[in-house]
Amino acid sequence: MTNNIFNRGVFVLFFIGAIFSIWGQSCDFTIRGNINDLHDGSPVYGALVRIENSDIFTQTDETGRYLLQGVCSGYLVLVVEHPQCNSLKRKLFIEADDSINFDLEHHINELDEIIISDDQLKQINLSANESRLDVNQITRFSSQSLADALNSFTGVSSLKTGNSIAKPMIHGMFGSRVGIVANGMRLRDQDWGADHAPNIDLNAFENVQLVKGASALKYGGDMVGGVIILSPPKIELKDSLLGKTVINLVQNGMGVSLSSDLIKTYSNGYYVKGQFTWKRFGDIKAPNYILSNTGLKELNYSIKLGRTRIIRGWEINYSRFKNETGILRAAHIGNIQDLLRALNSYEPLRIEPFSYSINAPKQQGTHQNIQFTSFNQFNDQAKWQFDYNYQENTRKEFDVRRGNRSDIASIDLRLRSHSFLSSLKWKKYFTWNFETGISGLIQDNFSNPESGIKRLIPDYLSYELGSFFIGSYKPNNSFSWDWGLRFDRVIWDVQKYYNTSDWEARNYQDVFSDFVVQDFGTQILVNPKLNFINWSAQTGITYVLRNHFRSVFSYILSQRSPNASEMFSDGLHHSLATIEYGNLFLDKEISHKFLMSLNLDKENFKGSIEPYFSTIKDYIFIAPKSLKQTIRGAFPVWEYDATNILLWGIDSSLEIRLMNKMNLELNASYIHAQDRINNQPLISIPSFNTFQKFNYTFKNGLNVELINRYVAFQNRFPDTNFQINSIVEGEITQKLIDISTPPKAYQYLDFSFSFPFDVIEGLNTSIRFIFQNLTNTKYRDYLNRMRFYSNEVGLNAEFQLIISY
Amino acid sequence: MDSRPYTKLYSIILISSFLFNGCSSEAPELIQEEELITTVKLTFKSSEETQIVRWNTLTTNSEIIQLKANSMYEVAIEFLDDSDPVDIKNITTEVIEEANDHQVFYEFSGVNVIYGTSDSDVLDDNQNPLYINSIWNFVESSSGVVRIYLIHEPTSKNSSNRSGFGGETDIQVDIPLHIN
Repeated sequence: MTNNIFNRGVFVLFFIGAIFSIWGQSCDFTIRGNINDLHDGSPVYGALVRIENSDIFTQTDETGRYLLQGVCSGYLVLVVEHPQCNSLKRKLFIEADDSINFDLEHHINELDEIIISDDQLKQINLSANESRLDVNQITRFSSQSLADALNSFTGVSSLKTGNSIAKPMIHGMFGSRVGIVANGMRLRDQDWGADHAPNIDLNAFENVQLVKGASALKYGGDMVGGVIILSPPKIELKDSLLGKTVINLVQNGMGVSLSSDLIKTYSNGYYVKGQFTWKRFGDIKAPNYILSNTGLKELNYSIKLGRTRIIRGWEINYSRFKNETGILRAAHIGNIQDLLRALNSYEPLRIEPFSYSINAPKQQGTHQNIQFTSFNQFNDQAKWQFDYNYQENTRKEFDVRRGNRSDIASIDLRLRSHSFLSSLKWKKYFTWNFETGISGLIQDNFSNPESGIKRLIPDYLSYELGSFFIGSYKPNNSFSWDWGLRFDRVIWDVQKYYNTSDWEARNYQDVFSDFVVQDFGTQILVNPKLNFINWSAQTGITYVLRNHFRSVFSYILSQRSPNASEMFSDGLHHSLATIEYGNLFLDKEISHKFLMSLNLDKENFKGSIEPYFSTIKDYIFIAPKSLKQTIRGAFPVWEYDATNILLWGIDSSLEIRLMNKMNLELNASYIHAQDRINNQPLISIPSFNTFQKFNYTFKNGLNVELINRYVAFQNRFPDTNFQINSIVEGEITQKLIDISTPPKAYQYLDFSFSFPFDVIEGLNTSIRFIFQNLTNTKYRDYLNRMRFYSNEVGLNAEFQLIISY
Repeated sequence: MDSRPYTKLYSIILISSFLFNGCSSEAPELIQEEELITTVKLTFKSSEETQIVRWNTLTTNSEIIQLKANSMYEVAIEFLDDSDPVDIKNITTEVIEEANDHQVFYEFSGVNVIYGTSDSDVLDDNQNPLYINSIWNFVESSSGVVRIYLIHEPTSKNSSNRSGFGGETDIQVDIPLHIN
């Protein structure tokens, strides 16, 4: 070695001459360091490190390390090159051994590949299967909702109230049990009951990740069903102005949806992005009739400003979502005899000519979000991130009311949430990864008394404090072990008026008399203060055999405390003619879940089987309890209650690819859920369903896609039917109200084709035609609350123009 | 470690704590539901007698209507909110104001009755009687039930059964009848 250096010294001296020796140059220094990926800090293997105008060079090893020896003192230019990266030059003055680390930026045209390894898009939960929607798939659902877009995954369904109010349902779970994380923070409006859709604009995001059946402990421990993570487009470190506009013309409902965004980035890391979506739909149409009052208005916009210097950065983001959704007029009923008339009618009881106007009954929702994010990578081993987020959600519901009161919201809620999340990520030897953090939440719910109707959800303050510690060990590419622990404390401070008769009928006075603040005769003001402690944990292993067979086994413990609607809801539901009551006795849910996933991934063939099994103790659900005699006749009372359930299911999929042109996907999923205390099936569980997708891309870029979906009859359902007495030709007769038998099996076809359509130079334009329910099939869906009143949507043709610039 | 992020963190926590203070925890306002109908009041008038029967939400029943067969009764219906006994509101006026959007309907079981609109009945814009005031005449002595409906936004104003009217049921109460 010394000999080599000596030789080099001689060599350099010999060629460059004595001038340098006057400066007393010595050539026995070393430069060492690490080369990592700018985006995720992963080591860059095989990068060439050389000194310009010399023959000194080396390559980085698997851990990204390099070592240059025999470096002479003085000025030199160090060059770092990699086939997939922008080369990097740095002028250095060397007077001693030096250590220099570099972060490499991949070529912009390689970004598609990089995104996979990018930090924010890394797999959320190593030991749970994850599905993704990319930009193209998100664009396809531009005029629709998040739940519609997710429906194409096995094991995912939508719990609907009509066509446009849809909640994603994963493995039969919905609402608080499915977490929605947008921009790194959890959406806080999912506790308002089954008929409230997430206030989210899909168009603002570029990537949707779905973790089925497991939590992301970083965001919460209560997501028994799964997590949906929406991420915005990746910021590029270069001077650019990029934008995209999607125009949708929808035949059914004569709707228009327009979405556009513009993002300006600078090479110094500053960026600014603006985005908006506007939607307007009139009444949609079922195969044989107009679904009156099912129009939709929506306007969303967001703006963000930030700076990323890869290893540190910040961002301020403001977004606003506002929509108004009509609810099928025929579904607004007064009592159960009206329900019986609706059930006996082949068509909705009110059909009016097509209209864009949205009248009562309707829902108005707004969601405003202000977020601040800051992150800092201290060195190549540790990264700290802080998010603060303020959300204001409002929900107004308008019923058909007497005395010109239809313009006064009968439900008028405003939920304000402040939350923060601070996390620290670090790694050790590239095999151990850790992340720890704390999160806090303060929520203030206000129910406007001007509604003149008893509050559905009372006024409350709630506080949550959580902390988590997660980690993974990945010694090589074929094995990984991950684990996590989370602790949450939830405190409720609620102010609620109970009808004195209800308070006593539930025996609350025996247990909760301390909560009573004031007695107003027929009503009493109560101030429940509740406290829950939730522990959640998970662990799993992944084993990869010969690069194409991947198996995952994991165990998940989730604890979820009851939400506001489960504990406190109190009101009349016009769409089902039910009175809904919360339950103060509810305890937290404890779920144990085992997940397994077997995946085979070969060049032309991809298959997966994912069985899961879980038991949930004190699972909270709503079920009919009794009939209450009111001035509107007898009313079924639905009350939240807890039971122990057993839930298992299988998701499976098979994908065959041929010649990069043809793609055939077969998916199926089955869920079995049993209430073990009442020994009956659980209500509202998706039935066996399959879907097949055939996709072919022609040489000229034309892409054709055909989707066939089959949803079986759900033969496992609890009997929630009841009898009412009806007067038929002067005689009192008992009539059965069958609200529990699910609708028949159905099948429908979707067809779409798209092709690039370049008209203007420099613009990337493409056109897509989408046909939904091609055969105009009449069907009803078990998971749609409107199934008692009308068929689902009929044939729909949609034209989509996508312009990228 | 860089201390700046922590400065940021503290300032944010500080700012948010001010925001949190904005949350009020004072007692929410008591809501007295305005559209509530708590009582259906029927007044029966014949040449000989006047009888009043009330169906009330609290008791969820009423007294039995005792009438004589083959006697003309003028029947007036009223919808009241007497949840505050000091301030009893008559909702019937609201119903009459929105005559086009309302309909009263009686359905009988176990009794044989001839009934129709009264001269003093309320008419809507299309001259349809609302049956706020009606005439009942029972053919024979019997016992049965009258089911009283107040229908909101009926799709039809002329029907002999509940289904024919469409709309939503605002009131549906059963009152027992005894005809001597």
